[in-house]
Amino acid sequence: MNSFSESTMDTISLTIDNQQITTEPGRTVLQAAEEAGISIPTICAHEDLPSYGACRMCVVEIEGMRGYPTSCTTPVSEGMVVQTDTTELRKLRNQVMEFILSGHPDSCLVCDHREDCEKYRPNVTKAGRSTRCGFCSNRDVCMVRNYAITCYERHLNLPTLYCHYNLERDDPFMERDLNLCILCGLCWRICEKIHGSPAISINNRGRWAKVGTAFNSSYVDSGCTFCGACIDICPTGTLTDRYARWYGKGNFGWETVCTLCPEGCKIKSTLSDNKVVSTEMISFDRESRICALGRFAYAQLMNAPKRLKRPYIRDNDELTPVSWPDAIDFVAKKLAEYEPGQCATIVDSANIRENLHLYRRFTEEAMQGRFASVPAGDGFDDIDDESLKADLQAGKIKAVVLGGDYLDPELLEGLDCLIVLDYLPSAATKRADAVLPVAILAELTGTFRDDAGEIKPLKRAVDAAGEARPEWMILRDLAGALNRNGWPYDDINGVTEDITNDPAPQPWPGSPRDSLKDLPPRFRGAYLADTVPALKDVGLPSHPTPIHPRPTTGFKILKHEEVVPNFFLITIEAPKIAQYARPGQFVILMVDETSERVPFTLADWDAEAGTITLIIEEVGRSSGELVFLSEGDFIAHVTGPLGVELPVPEGDTIALGGGCYGIGAIYPIARELKQLGKKVITVLEACSSYTLYMESQFREVSDEVIIMTKDGGKGMKGGVQEAFTHLVDRGTKVDQFVAVGCTFMMRMVTETTRNFGIPLQVALNPIMVDGTGMCGACRITIGDETKFACIDGPFFDGHQVDWDELGSRRGAYAAEEIEAIPQDTHHHEKLVPITTSGGCALDD
Amino acid sequence: MSETDPKTPPKKKRKPKKPKVPRQPMPEQDATRRARNFQEVPYGYPPETAIIEAARCLQCKKPLCVQGCPVNIDIPAFIKLIEESNFEGAAIKLLEQTALPAVCGRVCPQETQCEEKCVLGKKFEPVAIGRLERFAADYVREHGDELEAQIDPPTGKRVAVIGAGPAGITVAGDLARLGHKVVMFEALHLTGGVLMYGIPEFRLPKDIVQFEVNNLKKLGVEIHTDYVIGKAETVDQLLNEEGYDAVFIGSGAGLPMFMNVPGENAIGVYSANEFLTRINLMKAYDFPNYATSPIRAKHIITVGGGNVAMDSARCALRIGSKSTVVYRRAREQMPARDEEIHHAEEEGVEFNLLTNPVRILTDDDNKMVGMEVIKMELGEPDDSGRRSPVPVPGSEYIIEADCCVVSIGNKPNPLIPQTSPDLSITRWGTIEADEGTMQTSKPGVFAGGDVVSGAATVISAMGQAKIAAHNIHLYLTGGEPDTSEEETQTEEKEQPVTSE
Repeated sequence: MNSFSESTMDTISLTIDNQQITTEPGRTVLQAAEEAGISIPTICAHEDLPSYGACRMCVVEIEGMRGYPTSCTTPVSEGMVVQTDTTELRKLRNQVMEFILSGHPDSCLVCDHREDCEKYRPNVTKAGRSTRCGFCSNRDVCMVRNYAITCYERHLNLPTLYCHYNLERDDPFMERDLNLCILCGLCWRICEKIHGSPAISINNRGRWAKVGTAFNSSYVDSGCTFCGACIDICPTGTLTDRYARWYGKGNFGWETVCTLCPEGCKIKSTLSDNKVVSTEMISFDRESRICALGRFAYAQLMNAPKRLKRPYIRDNDELTPVSWPDAIDFVAKKLAEYEPGQCATIVDSANIRENLHLYRRFTEEAMQGRFASVPAGDGFDDIDDESLKADLQAGKIKAVVLGGDYLDPELLEGLDCLIVLDYLPSAATKRADAVLPVAILAELTGTFRDDAGEIKPLKRAVDAAGEARPEWMILRDLAGALNRNGWPYDDINGVTEDITNDPAPQPWPGSPRDSLKDLPPRFRGAYLADTVPALKDVGLPSHPTPIHPRPTTGFKILKHEEVVPNFFLITIEAPKIAQYARPGQFVILMVDETSERVPFTLADWDAEAGTITLIIEEVGRSSGELVFLSEGDFIAHVTGPLGVELPVPEGDTIALGGGCYGIGAIYPIARELKQLGKKVITVLEACSSYTLYMESQFREVSDEVIIMTKDGGKGMKGGVQEAFTHLVDRGTKVDQFVAVGCTFMMRMVTETTRNFGIPLQVALNPIMVDGTGMCGACRITIGDETKFACIDGPFFDGHQVDWDELGSRRGAYAAEEIEAIPQDTHHHEKLVPITTSGGCALDD
Repeated sequence: MSETDPKTPPKKKRKPKKPKVPRQPMPEQDATRRARNFQEVPYGYPPETAIIEAARCLQCKKPLCVQGCPVNIDIPAFIKLIEESNFEGAAIKLLEQTALPAVCGRVCPQETQCEEKCVLGKKFEPVAIGRLERFAADYVREHGDELEAQIDPPTGKRVAVIGAGPAGITVAGDLARLGHKVVMFEALHLTGGVLMYGIPEFRLPKDIVQFEVNNLKKLGVEIHTDYVIGKAETVDQLLNEEGYDAVFIGSGAGLPMFMNVPGENAIGVYSANEFLTRINLMKAYDFPNYATSPIRAKHIITVGGGNVAMDSARCALRIGSKSTVVYRRAREQMPARDEEIHHAEEEGVEFNLLTNPVRILTDDDNKMVGMEVIKMELGEPDDSGRRSPVPVPGSEYIIEADCCVVSIGNKPNPLIPQTSPDLSITRWGTIEADEGTMQTSKPGVFAGGDVVSGAATVISAMGQAKIAAHNIHLYLTGGEPDTSEEETQTEEKEQPVTSE
């Protein structure tokens, strides 16, 4: 807030929504309104950026001015009378919103079932490509969605023009789906503000205008430093953080200091489920900019799956987990065996002062040994204590306390005693006599002295991983066990107060915040890229990782294409399955030997050609593995056909409803029923015209095809349940309903048709492991009985299904499913054909 | 070092008298340490110890131990060879009767079979037959000795073996050696059946199973994984359309039973099969390198008292959870091997005996938060002769836990029975087979293992498989069925408990 200056001449008075307001000259109407607590909708305005006037949401009426000026670009003037919320303005904003949404997948916003959907599907589906809000990682914080829901009408007149841009996943850390972009300009404007010459701007014009780098080079080559500001400011799901994207709305704003290098930048973290899932700059200005490590590596280091979580001691030549007291006791006894001068401590200087202080005290007082701190980001070779190095090489140093992964194998082997305090397993922990797990980064409270000498406080955001503890605490207890009195530190404050004259760390040579080339390659002596794989793509060194060879035998992929956004049609050579497949059956796939076993319904097969066809929707790791394969690749395992085929329905007229992958799944059923002489009415449900597929094939095997879209862009507005209701209402005698698709759709159809007196079969899709009845993971309650979907199903009487139970069991591994998504950069993105309809299909 | 001859006790005239040396203990991993890792618990005998133990054998003229063995291994003969430091010879002797010596040496309940019958055991401790069997098999495997398998000339006959578990492997091995063309069909992506998905690594290392399966390939057995008979070809089609002369069904007891208590479909309640499959077969403990979601629970309650329950309870410890067993009878009635119960106790599994689940408590998200149990007492003996547990009214209490592993047994997998109309099925869903020949009601179709016996042990499955193989051979070569090997050693149990 502005403060009143001494001279009242410097203030301006105006009226906004009949409220008298005083503000400073130079403010915009939007700013003045916000100061007064009056909220005007806006998307492209941002407190940290100059006015831009792109979205036109913030239009207002001002007495004496023509038209509807944008409040973000209109400066205040004395005596101005402003209205922000009139019928006319609402109408205008609704139109603006329609224009914005015509270029942004909006089917969930206009869907009549949105409330139910969000109730029954509280978590966003982890789709590769967002085709609507329910499949968008930004759903819970989306500004466009927020306005659309709170301010605007559900019915829109303009169809969505889906651009069919490729999903851009070939850069480290970030994913870009420009089909969601509303061209608000925030990303390149913030980039320009922070970095001067922006790495990105708007390319092309008109409908094909699109944010990108010059000449479409990769972001790595464009000069982008991966500060993440564009991601953090993006109001939609266009720009996302590959690691954090599926954690939903977290708790923002926990400030601390990054200790990965001596610059000690301030960062704020986002927490989700007691986990730091991302870190970002504390405010959008040049001074606060952070580097790729601070923005993207930080959370991944903290959450590394290999984190050391318990203390280990060497027993019978093997590292064995023990309790903390046993570990401390063991280490103290071990270190007591050595003479002064035979011991040394080597630690990373990128650490809080309290840890460094006690390392030093412990070394000098408790061990009477030599202390060396390695400059941040460096390895052992960079220690500037040649005599220590020489003594180590000469074997004069017998016992080493190592705060990281520093010594090379020969030196490690030559040691008599090695105690490692670290957070990840390493060459050093492998050889160690004891391994003590330590708290790192946002798990620490304390102080950090940066390379300019400034002391900055750290504030703990989360508990340490497992049983890991701060190093100062470990060293205090070790000193206690070695009978050193005078270390009565009850808490970290005691240690902090004890520190005098600690030196400022050596500056890191280079500017990581301004150049990817200057990023420090190591933390605690170990290559960062070994833990954060995407760092390899910005040029950081790493140890070679074993590459899983792609299977060279198994089931060959003959055809692989993205038929509509996020849906892939995959044809596989599998003669035996093709020979015995029946309508409604499924297969279980494992892409390679480390994959999950995941069921997929057969969308088609050709017994003569010996092939089967699946429709795969990318919604997580396992489907993602399939999506990244190409024609000619092999899938390690395909088992099937599994499940019981759909029992031939009684009666003449069968209405089949399919949505999402279910469109593919009902195709063989329609074909079979048609061959049996039934009257087949097919209902195809898609969120929008651009996700509708196989329509022409269905016309060949159906007596009637009803197209339903959630946004009404093609066919009727609504879903399968509206179509089934429509059939009953218009007097069509239907003998059997069949619905296949997402659990939500089948549940809605069930509720809608409950009183129609017409039987309903649904194909259930719980989590499975073996798929042959062996494990029971897929059990579900049908009426009063527990059934196994794999061998009793997948088809059941929909009106008997316990949908709440099925929904909960499908979500049993929600957290693990997020963790399982690999963080490597995808270097082999597939091209999506740009369809001629462009999604604007108003032809029928 | 196999040539060194340590102090062998004099062994000329053997009479059942006190042996000079006691039964040799097998070194094993310390309990507190092993409770946190998946490495094998016992280390196995070193050669010197094996020779000492082998020398304890009295070499009885009429060896009772052989009668105790479901697959009739010539036990004194292979032990004699070990004593003579002819480890390879011992392994070959074993292979005459068993396709899986390294497996059987580990997981057979020897204390109720061969070792129970050992004459020495009447007064002293029996010869450690199982440990010696394991030693011979391991020694040959680890020293890379290629054993020359004796394969008879091709007969031109083709046999389909359904299921690559212990029964199928045994049948395949025996028939391949007799010169028949054997084709195996396995529904999962790896061979081994319960040896792979069920029995944990710390009890049976998986590379041993794969080694033994590879030996089958050397015998010319063709193996198809990812192949579900009953869903692809039926048994009839194998015989009538695919040209097989005989079929052996060894599809196991892979259909888990649940308790039928309220809340059983909560998140966090697993069948033992699923729990063990995620860990053993899918390697979820190495998540996210392996994509299968791991089970992350603070307190896991295993319901049941069989070997599978012990495996589950011990796996629970190893994935970092507190582990409690709830079993409705007393310790003496637990069907698990003593050794397994002992190992579980040593490692820190808690036992709530004479206790039975009443219901699973859940939160609003259908996640398990606890289990209500009731105390039991032993009442009158039931049909099996065991005193049956009776609830103590009013003794209900709640155990806080977020995971439950239901390990109360399995029923046979229905895929084959459902799709083979003229196969006689018992009221328990098992396939009816003649005990003496393992011939089913359908000509040319034999069955063995848990799909016949309900749910028993690896070795009893192998025992039935040996009988089946012998009779399939006779069937193929025009001989009369031979019912002389009536020893099947399937023990009646209170409730079926999955093999081992």
